[in-house]
Amino acid sequence: MSTVELVKQTLVKAGTSFSEGKIRAYQRAIAEEENEHSKWVLESILENAIVADKNHSPLCDDSGIPHLFLEIGGNRTLSAELIADIEEGVRQGLKEMPGRPMGILGDDKQRLDQSAGLDPRSEGVEPSPLLIKRVEGDVLRLHIIMQGGGPAIRGITYRVFHRHSLQTVIDEIVARASEGVAQLGCTPCTVAIGIGRSQFEAASLMMEAQVYGDYDRQSDLEEEITRRINETDVGPLGLHGKHSVLATFMKVGPQRASGVRIVSIRPCCCFEPRIASVDL
Amino acid sequence: MTITTPITREVIQQLRVGDKITICGPIYTGRDAVLPKLVALKESGGGEDIPLEGSVVFHTAVSPAGVGPTSSNKLEIESSIGPLSKLGVRIHLGKGKLSEETVRLLDQNDSIYAVIPPVTALLESQIRSRRVVAYPEEGMEALHELQVEGFTAIVAAAHGESIYK
Repeated sequence: MSTVELVKQTLVKAGTSFSEGKIRAYQRAIAEEENEHSKWVLESILENAIVADKNHSPLCDDSGIPHLFLEIGGNRTLSAELIADIEEGVRQGLKEMPGRPMGILGDDKQRLDQSAGLDPRSEGVEPSPLLIKRVEGDVLRLHIIMQGGGPAIRGITYRVFHRHSLQTVIDEIVARASEGVAQLGCTPCTVAIGIGRSQFEAASLMMEAQVYGDYDRQSDLEEEITRRINETDVGPLGLHGKHSVLATFMKVGPQRASGVRIVSIRPCCCFEPRIASVDL
Repeated sequence: MTITTPITREVIQQLRVGDKITICGPIYTGRDAVLPKLVALKESGGGEDIPLEGSVVFHTAVSPAGVGPTSSNKLEIESSIGPLSKLGVRIHLGKGKLSEETVRLLDQNDSIYAVIPPVTALLESQIRSRRVVAYPEEGMEALHELQVEGFTAIVAAAHGESIYK
């Protein structure tokens, strides 16, 4: 199968299906939830995922902006031709799904105030820049992550003065994330966190956390963040209950010899991370 | 409780925060781009062909990807809720926490706010038809009318009370 076709199919899968781990996380939450309305919301989200997967139709009408994360290792090479094929696969995937036509037309000024209107084509939505990570093994693996607008509104990248205390950093994350989760609407969340030395690095690590995060295996710090946010009782769709957050995916990178840590937090909505992967 | 549009003020009086409602009939859709325009149009005396009394406004885009609630607390959407309630919109359908001021404006105008799960694949099976009512240049953000059958939502703000308190 051609690279273009593989990428196309992967994008459609990312936007229309839940991972097995996420399905298990929802099943656990439904079993534990005691609030009647919240249980109904969780069941509806899971049923929606089953129907979307069956029909190959979008999980959410905000089908998301494609974000691309490429792992490369061993003797594999990345050429401009391959990047062009990946971009063509993304276009074809958006057309096939179909994605929401939300590309903005015009020059810099017009794109900012939306005065030149929208591109009517699903494939008019451009993907994010390609993020590349060198890994062990002879591998060239593309991960496509569809990022919606709600979590982008509530996400934040900021500095924490850690005072040489891990607890200070975690307390700040819980406070900021709780604020975002309460405002989001589309709960339960999966909280994606990256901690690095600059805004770019922290945001990149936050994306990486969405690639490698595991609903079935949580670190003690991830469990603590999830537990403390759930104590805020936001609940599914803000209707209260035990599950404001299903899990936390956190990636800690190299740190600066300084009193500051740069933290990037994205309260991923009830469908996110919408991700699928393919070996090219 | 099943509610068919247009909705009377008497029906609104019966509803309480936490009630599950099922909406049938024609409803409008609108979000950031079009709701402020609709408010300005109606307040200037225009839009006779867009009757708002007893209506529902669903905060969503309408696109080939389907429909689903966007955040109702985005600036241009939330700021339209009070004026549109005054103009006759009885139910605002969306997601996310609203401010105390907006909850007060809803109460003043016999309107409510309900939240609907963002279940695009399921909602698609409950839409019988869709058409553009106004502002076609806004594309997916144009003011649409949907004929719906069985949109289920939870009342999140009514009579000065909010589920988010």
